[in-house]
Amino acid sequence: MFEARLAKGAIFKKILEAVKDLLTEASWDCGDMGITLQAMDNAHVSLVSLNLRSDGFDKYRCDRNLTMGMNLGSMSKILKCAGNDDIVTIRAQDNPDTVTFVFESENGEKQSDYEMKLMSLDLEHLQIPETEYACVVKMPAGEFARICRDLSQFGDSIVISCSKQGVKFSASGDIGSANVKLAQSSNVDKEEEAVTIEMQEPVSFTYACRYLNFFTKATPLSAQVKLSMSPEYPLMVEYAIDDIGQIRYFLAPKIEDDDN
Amino acid sequence: MCMYQFLVAVRQEGANLTSADGETTSHLMGMFYRTIRMVDNGIKPCYVFDGKPPEMKGGELAKRAERREEAQKALSQAEEQGNQQDIDKFSRRLVKVTKTHVDECKQLLKLMGIPFVEAPCEAEAQCAALVKAGKVYGTATEDMDALTFGSNVLLRHMTFSEARKMPIKEFHLSNVLAETGLSQQEFIDLCILMGCDYCDSIRGIGPKRAIELIQKHRSIETILQHLDKNKYTVPEEWQFSEARRLFVEPEVADPADIELKWVEPDEDGLVAFMCGDKGFNEERIRNGAKKLSKARNTTTQGRLDSFFKVLPNPNAGKRKGYPVRPADDVSFPVFALAVAVPSAIY
Repeated sequence: MFEARLAKGAIFKKILEAVKDLLTEASWDCGDMGITLQAMDNAHVSLVSLNLRSDGFDKYRCDRNLTMGMNLGSMSKILKCAGNDDIVTIRAQDNPDTVTFVFESENGEKQSDYEMKLMSLDLEHLQIPETEYACVVKMPAGEFARICRDLSQFGDSIVISCSKQGVKFSASGDIGSANVKLAQSSNVDKEEEAVTIEMQEPVSFTYACRYLNFFTKATPLSAQVKLSMSPEYPLMVEYAIDDIGQIRYFLAPKIEDDDN
Repeated sequence: MCMYQFLVAVRQEGANLTSADGETTSHLMGMFYRTIRMVDNGIKPCYVFDGKPPEMKGGELAKRAERREEAQKALSQAEEQGNQQDIDKFSRRLVKVTKTHVDECKQLLKLMGIPFVEAPCEAEAQCAALVKAGKVYGTATEDMDALTFGSNVLLRHMTFSEARKMPIKEFHLSNVLAETGLSQQEFIDLCILMGCDYCDSIRGIGPKRAIELIQKHRSIETILQHLDKNKYTVPEEWQFSEARRLFVEPEVADPADIELKWVEPDEDGLVAFMCGDKGFNEERIRNGAKKLSKARNTTTQGRLDSFFKVLPNPNAGKRKGYPVRPADDVSFPVFALAVAVPSAIY
């Protein structure tokens, strides 16, 4: 028997919004520690790694480890039926063919349940080693989303350069070029609006706008976003999810051809 | 691969496209636009031309020649009867790629800055060698031999026209082997059983029987020991071991000596060749050259698989059938394309 109950059901709604455009289907791995999801997009360019710790749930029970393959489009449709203040419970048997979502209104007067068929997925799992990144930028999530949206009007890719002075986003294309510079914030009164940079060495990499714009769909989950970059390594974009876990996106950089 | 296709497909009212003095140009047009389409989509193609066919292929080639003769006869018959549809049908079957066609294609590729390799023998074998050496990501061909030769990634329908809406299919040899539970050696034997270009197969054994037999007995030799000779006729002097040798150690040029270089296209050279000699529209050719040049200067998208290791899947082998996944976004873009060249020109 598996059961996970989250009073802030809106979190599930936001998580689905944050992944459903990038992934069509994914496996949810449930175990003692909590729920994890790891999946690459079709082109194997980016990867989503979601982690929800069991202690972050209001009630969590998982008798046996189980993997539930779900169509994220269908799952999103179901979660759209939940109200923003609803309590969401996910429930499944030990060897399930289906999963049940239960939505309860705050005052307990309305309860609805939705059952969804599971699918058997054969997905590749990647091992993501823990690394020290050369540059870690923390900034307001809304600001990052705005920059990605604005710059994607100029070209297919965005160059993110990070130095002691600050972090610079640039793009260029047929209509011209665009540069956005952010300096480290001097006042740290409002943690949520701060821009902080931890840097070992300056870096500059090119990333596809298309994917960054998929990642920023997670903006409603968190006030701050963390961008981590290293040479010869994918970009990591991380959004914290309250005190229950985090969603991480990895994106392979665009590579300059050697013979150019 | 594609030259026959172009000569067959690119034609009007039963005749090939020609330049002012009557030379065929269908193949150049096909090669030019299709290459641009690939480059435009971020693929770096490398063409591999067939060399001389191995002697073992004689039987298969004789069969093809026979079919040609039949088509020739049918064509004259159709002409007598004046049946336009049949004339079209049979003249398509008579299309022949000549040495001139091949040379012109090579010249065109050179001007476009696209590398090509002349295989000493079978193009698919050379492609597989390039894949194994890590020079290219995969082989694009319609010929399943590429897997038998050990090319880990095979793409089919790579250059089909967009109008046909045919998705590109990606085959991974490692997955095929894992799911069938065969080694490469056994896989080769299986391919020979199912029929290859080099020798006959056993009559009455189709794909289904073949895979059962291989999974049970693991090699053709053991299968022959156990096979009911009254039920199935094994070809006389069956040269399966020779065929096997051709798959295991085919004649290929050492990939270490091959340098693949994509260079800036020679726009004026292209215009001179395609417009001056062959009568193509100058504006279109210049546009094409610009596309090639633009694509060269954009960066390529990396893939996550090259950074993170894929963990072994505990569920592998549970699923039935061959793992085929549509490769809608192929993002590691270097491919070897096998180009079939008829044996007659050697």
